[in-house]
Amino acid sequence: MSWVASPSELKPGGNAVPRVRSASAVVSVAGAAVIWIALLGPVIALLTHLSWSALWSALSAPGAFGPLLISAESGAITLAVLFFGCTPLAWMLARGALPLPRVWEAGVLASLLLPPLVIGLLLVFLVGPYTPIGELLGHLHLSAANTFLALCIAEVYESAPYYVVGAQAAFAGVDPRLEQQAQLLGDRPRRAFRRVTLPLATPGLAMALSVAWARAMGAFGAVLIIAYHPDGIPLQIYNQLQETGLSSALPFALVLLVVALPLPLAAYTWSARAGRRRRG
Amino acid sequence: MLDADVEVDRRDFAVRAAVQVARGERVALFGPSGSGKTTLLEVVAGLVAPRRGRVVLGGRVLTCTAPPVRAVPPWQRRVGLLRQDPGLFPHLPVRRNLSYARKASPEDAELAEVAATLGIAGLLEAMPARLSGGQQHRVALGRLLLAPCDALLLDEPYTGLDASLRRSLTELVVALVEARNVPAVLVAHELADAQAFADRLAVLDRGELLQVGAPDEVVLRPASRRVAELVGYLGFVPRGADRVAGVHPERTLAGAHPDRGLVLTGTVVASRPAGAGWEADLRVAGTIITCRLPSRPAPDGGELVVTVLDPPVLAAGGPAGPAGAVTRQATEAGERSA
Repeated sequence: MSWVASPSELKPGGNAVPRVRSASAVVSVAGAAVIWIALLGPVIALLTHLSWSALWSALSAPGAFGPLLISAESGAITLAVLFFGCTPLAWMLARGALPLPRVWEAGVLASLLLPPLVIGLLLVFLVGPYTPIGELLGHLHLSAANTFLALCIAEVYESAPYYVVGAQAAFAGVDPRLEQQAQLLGDRPRRAFRRVTLPLATPGLAMALSVAWARAMGAFGAVLIIAYHPDGIPLQIYNQLQETGLSSALPFALVLLVVALPLPLAAYTWSARAGRRRRG
Repeated sequence: MLDADVEVDRRDFAVRAAVQVARGERVALFGPSGSGKTTLLEVVAGLVAPRRGRVVLGGRVLTCTAPPVRAVPPWQRRVGLLRQDPGLFPHLPVRRNLSYARKASPEDAELAEVAATLGIAGLLEAMPARLSGGQQHRVALGRLLLAPCDALLLDEPYTGLDASLRRSLTELVVALVEARNVPAVLVAHELADAQAFADRLAVLDRGELLQVGAPDEVVLRPASRRVAELVGYLGFVPRGADRVAGVHPERTLAGAHPDRGLVLTGTVVASRPAGAGWEADLRVAGTIITCRLPSRPAPDGGELVVTVLDPPVLAAGGPAGPAGAVTRQATEAGERSA
């Protein structure tokens, strides 16, 4: 008897696709497929109910792509605000660098729990024209009611808690001892953050940003209240539905999907690749 | 020269210790888990602030709690700390881990030399996740050596590695400390690791420095009963009203050799194979001692005569010695008792 494995017995490497062998494995794969298809149900319904001619006539109408541009611009501004404004907060939450950390976290969760419609109502009292902030904006010849600025504010409020929670998790996944080690090797905290913390948290941050992007692109509740004009894609869909019915709204749902999806998908692929590269 | 004299508050007790380490000298801080060894290293590295004290490295005051108060941040201390977790940056290949504290240059002769010394020259483009535990430690050590480093602190770095790897890494560090001529401090809870590394052994227990001395001196002449217990004395035989003789299992001989130490006659309570010989528990004068024997002892209940080689005679009570002081009582305490 030989203890040496013959070549035919050697297993392929760890990246091989797991092979389905037993009946229970078949059942669990089938179960997963059912759930996946159920989750995709709305997307499938969208694709099966669209006709090319309706799509063409809707998208070739004058001004059809105006809302797309507005959504993309306000979404980009929202992401920039979140990244530069909320990343430090997420880092401090993850490192427990704030006094009474539970209070801070409860605040983030409270904003996460507010329904978008309620956020919109409350924003009227916060930044509406007759509030101190509104008056301040008025002095600067700005307004946070039915303007592009209002749209951006609504999107920031709808997506920020998702970004903060995601970014906090991304930073919490970085071992603080690595930052410590970088400092012992001569890096000031800021430099250690840039050379160690940020690169290690980037895949998680990218995922958090892409979730925030999806929230911003789909922001509707708060937008409906304080930024009815200029309309982004969600309001365009709502208006089409109100004015001409379901079938003319569907093409814009596809536009929303096509615009919102690439960024999360790219972030997902990229963070998976970063993980593989790290494993060598 | 590293000179640290500090007091640090911990949850359950305060760590008080004064240690001086000359350039090129290797000191091992030895003690049970949770005795405050790591805390001391972290104070020297600037990661923990002491309640009171002073840390001076090569003439630079790194920490001083008395006016003028000084607390140099970790990134300006030039102190290398190696922990059990090598702490390699997982997103950087080995080469960039090694050159982390250096200006990037593709032709780095010193890097190549250190990598060759450490046996990792073939791994420079590999990612840390691909390395074995021993290789990761070599890279972490190389990273410290390539950084500006005036003192080397090793916090049980090789726990979890197998014995031969531990030995080769320890020999490597010893050679490197000699070549670099920097003070080095190793924290260990295994006596063998501490002895293999150190010129001087410092025994720490519950934040108190109990004894500092040459590794063999500390083991052969423990300053107190507590030190004796920590360095492996398993039995204490009464000698007079308030003294006991410490019995180390590895310092016993079968038979009576009155010229070499204390001859004891006892009853075998239990015996078991140990290494290449046997280990037996004897009941002697109402206490149990453990001794190593070359061959199988008499069956349980039988009588056995052993000689305890030159045993230290200690105060019968618990740990002795003034708090935090470097005690040199060992020689006086360990009077010959044969």
